[in-house]
Amino acid sequence: MLSILIWLPILTAALIACLPKSIPAHSIRLGALIISGIVLLWNLFILFKFDIYNPGMQLQEYLPWNETLGLTYKLGVDGISIVLLILNSLLTWIAIYSSSQQTERPRLFYSLILLVSGGVAGAFLAENLLLFFLFYELELIPFYLLISIWGGQKRGYAAIKFLIYTAVSGALILATFLSVVWLTGSSTFNYDALVTQTLPPALQITLLLGIILGFGIKIPLVPLHTWLPDAYVEASAPVAILLGGVLAKLGTYGILRFGTALFPQAWSILAPSLATWGAVSAVYGAVVAIAQKDIKRMVAYSSIGHMGYILLAAAASTPLALVGAVAQMISHGIILGILFHLVGVVEAKVGTRELNVLNGLMNPIRGLPLTSALLVLGGMASAGIPGMMGFVAEFIVFQGSFSVFPIPTLMCIVSSALTAVYFVILINRTCFGKLDNNLAYYPKVVWHEKMPALILASVILFLGIQPTWLVRWIEPTTTVIATNIPALEKAVNPQLVLNPNKQHVPIIR
Amino acid sequence: MVQTSNQPVTKLPPSTHEFADIIHRLEAGGSMLPDTPENLMQIIGIYKAYAVPMDFYWRDLLYIAERVFLNPLPFFKYFLPKEYLERHNHYAGDDADLRIWRGEATAHPELLAFIEKGETFKMPKLLHHWFHDRINMEFAEACMQAMLWHRHMYAPVNQFDPYLDSEEYKANAHKAIQAYFQGNPVMLGLYKLFPDMFLEQCRQLSYYANLGLFWEVMAPVFFEMSDIYDEGGFKGVPDAMNFLVNKIFAVAGRPIYHHVYIRGECYEIIPKSKGFTWLYEAALPYVEAVFYRTAPFRGTKSYNAQVRQVPDKQEDFHYGILYADVFPVGTAGIPPTLLMQDMLHFLPPYLVKYYKKHCRGEDDMLIQLGISFQRSMYNVTSAVIQALRTALLYPLDDPNPKHLQANREFFEAQLNRFCRPEYGMRDAAKLRDIQRQNYR
Repeated sequence: MLSILIWLPILTAALIACLPKSIPAHSIRLGALIISGIVLLWNLFILFKFDIYNPGMQLQEYLPWNETLGLTYKLGVDGISIVLLILNSLLTWIAIYSSSQQTERPRLFYSLILLVSGGVAGAFLAENLLLFFLFYELELIPFYLLISIWGGQKRGYAAIKFLIYTAVSGALILATFLSVVWLTGSSTFNYDALVTQTLPPALQITLLLGIILGFGIKIPLVPLHTWLPDAYVEASAPVAILLGGVLAKLGTYGILRFGTALFPQAWSILAPSLATWGAVSAVYGAVVAIAQKDIKRMVAYSSIGHMGYILLAAAASTPLALVGAVAQMISHGIILGILFHLVGVVEAKVGTRELNVLNGLMNPIRGLPLTSALLVLGGMASAGIPGMMGFVAEFIVFQGSFSVFPIPTLMCIVSSALTAVYFVILINRTCFGKLDNNLAYYPKVVWHEKMPALILASVILFLGIQPTWLVRWIEPTTTVIATNIPALEKAVNPQLVLNPNKQHVPIIR
Repeated sequence: MVQTSNQPVTKLPPSTHEFADIIHRLEAGGSMLPDTPENLMQIIGIYKAYAVPMDFYWRDLLYIAERVFLNPLPFFKYFLPKEYLERHNHYAGDDADLRIWRGEATAHPELLAFIEKGETFKMPKLLHHWFHDRINMEFAEACMQAMLWHRHMYAPVNQFDPYLDSEEYKANAHKAIQAYFQGNPVMLGLYKLFPDMFLEQCRQLSYYANLGLFWEVMAPVFFEMSDIYDEGGFKGVPDAMNFLVNKIFAVAGRPIYHHVYIRGECYEIIPKSKGFTWLYEAALPYVEAVFYRTAPFRGTKSYNAQVRQVPDKQEDFHYGILYADVFPVGTAGIPPTLLMQDMLHFLPPYLVKYYKKHCRGEDDMLIQLGISFQRSMYNVTSAVIQALRTALLYPLDDPNPKHLQANREFFEAQLNRFCRPEYGMRDAAKLRDIQRQNYR
């Protein structure tokens, strides 16, 4: 059942790559769209088969592969991975939908997109560390090619930088995984076998640092982030959606899945530093975003800021904070998806992303009114305006983290306020003001360009009003993770803990 | 017939004015609008689309001036009675004083069809009104208010405006007001308390009549131009301009007056015998007030008068169609948005086809036709400038270089109205833009 999520896209990718050149780009796009749509529907089917009261792995699949190496084909889904799988398949479908019908080298383009989708699904499903690593590394080359072939002017530079950083990330993660197996004396890379092993705190800290640095590059955390603005900005809109919406989540997923579970004591010890790191990342991302003149770069830096919240919540590791961390991962993916799509539409129609040039796009007749309206909505969601998905995620993060790390949480709240500042700058300069009569001969935004943003906007509003549809899947799993992390090292202020005696009671209904 | 020469004048050295090309074109008998088939097609198509709502405007303006008059609750002033729809235009139909248009003297058939069905379907007038599926008389009233607000234009040749302050006018208005409110002690009491307010309302109604009588001429002129174009009659933009110049002279002496009909009796607030004429008392003030000046419109831009973003003198105002940015946001000029909406209903098929080919096709037709309207009004203004030059100065082919120099100075003075950098007029004026065909 779960394997379909991995192999249907990968096999379709292989099939598309072998198609004759005579097949037009729009037909290939349609084929990729249908397959990714089937994957999305299958994912929804799995979601409804999923038992929300069971915090453990479900719907597991197992095939022995290379027992000598400790590599098994073991898949499973829990409350964290199920929502991330939905996010992956939704954003893949959105990315294909938002791609141009005249994409150059369409067979390669859509093959790579589907390969990425299958690889990400594999990473979220893998219950074997080596299998996770294989799928994790599977992203590297497709993304490198997607940036370097279909990217902007500096695509070569951005792609190489991305490749180097993520290769280092992969090396650190592999080294950590191998160290865990060697040091524990385990004969397998199976996740459930390794989480029961214990290592001395000093070793745990060393290995956890490897995990944090490895996944921290992928997230990315400041100062490991310098590949991100170049990669996001140079990537075409569909690729940027996948980079920000999906790839970055592999980093936070890795930290939550492996950092907290494999090294709980070390996690508890390093938590204050991680919380501070998250807060610094959040403030840094927001402050640098304010200074940007390129709207895509501004959105890229906003991503750094918002990923900081996830690290803060993961560090706090209260049940509520962990729910918030996963909710923020989903929220960030959806909001970044809509923003990158809309920025892509603006660039395609107006021909620039320069904040100083763009103006008056809200003009109902010659501007891009719906695109602008959705950009306002995306900005509001990102800034955490109530009634939208961003608010729900950020509120849970802050509520869950404040009792443990009040100062970093306050810094993140300030960063959230700064988000409103740069989005007001972006929206004010881009959407409002006077449309230049001499330049305003922009093409119309056609229906298929509006659809992805409308779908994502609907999700943002729906989950903003009805957050239980998001957190109900996550909560049992994150509650168990939270209970496994020793709380001794944390500077919990008992007066600030919500329901201190009822931490396992479902929080949001 | 007045003919402007199309031969280039070579007796003077080239102008050094920043709009020298346009000066030379005017000196050669041309228009401010470049002579291209595309421009000709656009301006004539728009004249036709303008003439149909204009046929409603002039009828309703006269209805308000003559019949609604000082009704304190004029809810139905835009509901034109049959009598006024069938009222004969003095410049069209078989019984015309001077037949300019070969068509009917009564309301245009396209207008009647629109009044009945609108863009929706046949329903009571009130529903059409509430759905805004109607002719926007508010535009016509805004033009009238611009004329009223910019009083004292073209003094001393314009005698109409000072007459509104004369004792004779006040006496005539008093008689009409007394008659209108006869048997209404409340309104008569108010009139006693606030006579100036009623008098000012009366002045406004006189401008209703003024503008109605002005447009009564222009509607058949534009209809006729459209018919001539359809028959292949105009060879270029200067032809169309010359037609306008000729018609201006033909109707220049048309009387401008204000009569009010109360209980079957006619009250002559401004009698025809005063000798006010169409050219000096209506056409010139209209062009000045509506094409050039109007007023900064609330809601489009926050003007800071203290830093002189609004000119000190009303004569320096530059918010008319010649300066209008078609996007009604933060601009100096005010686009005639309601008129653009009215014209949209009556575009000739060739213009619809043309707009569909450019920009966003049907989606931004309103903007495209607004720019065509701007082009056409530059042509009308050119006709007025040429008419004034004919009336006040010298022929374009005058052999005397001093006369040619006087003509040039006149043209340069006219174009200087688009050059005042201290008020941003240079940037606001669309004279440069209309020289480009891709300004749409």
